[in-house]
Amino acid sequence: MATLPRQEVFQKVRQALVEALSVEESEVTEDATLTGDLQAESIDILDIIFRLEKAFNIKISQEELAPRDVLSNPEYVNNRKLNAAGLAVLKQRVKHADWSKFEQDPDIDKILDVFTVGTIVNFVEDKLAAAN
Amino acid sequence: MRWIWIDRFEEFVPGRRAVAVKNVTRAEDCLHDHFPGFPALPESLLIEGMAQTAGILVGQARNFEEKVILAKIKQAVFHRLVRPGDQIRFEAEIEQIHDAAATTRGQIRCGQEVIGLVDLVFSHIDQNISGLEFPEDNFVFTDEFMALLKTCRPDGLQRVVL
Amino acid sequence: MKFVLIDRILELESGKRIVAQKAVSLAEEYLADHFPRFPVLPGVLMVEAMVQAASWLVFQALDFAPSLVLLKEARNVTYKSFVVPGQVLTIEAVCHELSPDRSGFTGRGEVEGREIVRGRLTLRHLDLASVDPDYQEVDARLRTAQRALFSLLWTDGRPGGRSVKS
Repeated sequence: MATLPRQEVFQKVRQALVEALSVEESEVTEDATLTGDLQAESIDILDIIFRLEKAFNIKISQEELAPRDVLSNPEYVNNRKLNAAGLAVLKQRVKHADWSKFEQDPDIDKILDVFTVGTIVNFVEDKLAAAN
Repeated sequence: MRWIWIDRFEEFVPGRRAVAVKNVTRAEDCLHDHFPGFPALPESLLIEGMAQTAGILVGQARNFEEKVILAKIKQAVFHRLVRPGDQIRFEAEIEQIHDAAATTRGQIRCGQEVIGLVDLVFSHIDQNISGLEFPEDNFVFTDEFMALLKTCRPDGLQRVVL
Repeated sequence: MKFVLIDRILELESGKRIVAQKAVSLAEEYLADHFPRFPVLPGVLMVEAMVQAASWLVFQALDFAPSLVLLKEARNVTYKSFVVPGQVLTIEAVCHELSPDRSGFTGRGEVEGREIVRGRLTLRHLDLASVDPDYQEVDARLRTAQRALFSLLWTDGRPGGRSVKS
């Protein structure tokens, strides 16, 4: 499949979010956070991942967004918060998210909160490029 | 009132598709109140019939090793009332299946007519919910449900190891 | 009564919003099947409770013009946690569309301030006799039953007017 222009990727991602979350198109902006602004629950994130797989004919694992081997590794986590080493590994593994806010309170139960619509679009674009 | 909303499997293709049948009878507890003088099977219980059909399909695909529970109703649409004497069919298909979750889509038929659509997301709770304590054994797939799978006619049951 | 999923109506802004409660008890026999050794309110009964709460809003707003209010469509109903025996599920249904033959709601359920369930519901309103005149008497009995049950749920939920104690 030829790589899609970003606008087209955005529109398909937006469609998936509108259908999964019962939100209006106008609410789905680049900067909108999935779990904050769009009020997605963790099961909604799984639903969205399934829809993106279908829409773009790609395979996504939740591990790519929230790697369990980092988040449940006692070397990287103290008291459910990531330490400096854990944060470094996370930033390297999940490149598209803006981790700056998360770093101030690296609570592993809040990891999905960093993901914006824009992050997801970038993530999908990368997957499409890698598939080619 | 029991909590079994399907009566018999007609078809079971592991990892793909299942069809279960439910008879609707005036003798059911829930019809007494829904509604007084005009019994009609509640739509919420039609959702449950599909959830049980699809849930067993998803559970079996993972050898009943995980507790599979309904986590999200993507959509449930109903076109017609279901009345005593009707026999309805839940036709469920697995759409996608991952470690943590699975999606199914399904049609509900009365005779040939499609009277409803139910699309669901199931969660495998051992993998997902932190901080909640569950009994070790798989309480979701009870003896009643396992016995139901055995009701499927031999020609409808394909390669299932029970 | 086995399939009345609302115990009390607490608040009702006519045509706009309703708040109701469902208490969960081990006395409810189906819990023995759902699940053995782990009794929890089935997710679809949370949907049913939301549908019934929304239906009472419709009946009151339309002065019991329909004889039946039914679920037409449920969309994106997500479950966050469980409700166990001994807990009370507080349901809120907010109406964003109301016409004689259909209505649209956002429903939520919470236990002790924590959200348990949320979803979008579309209801359809029927008047059996207009579909088939032979159902006129059935309609009349339905309306009488609905009015009586609404009155009980509403009265039982009113602050100060809560269930007669002596």
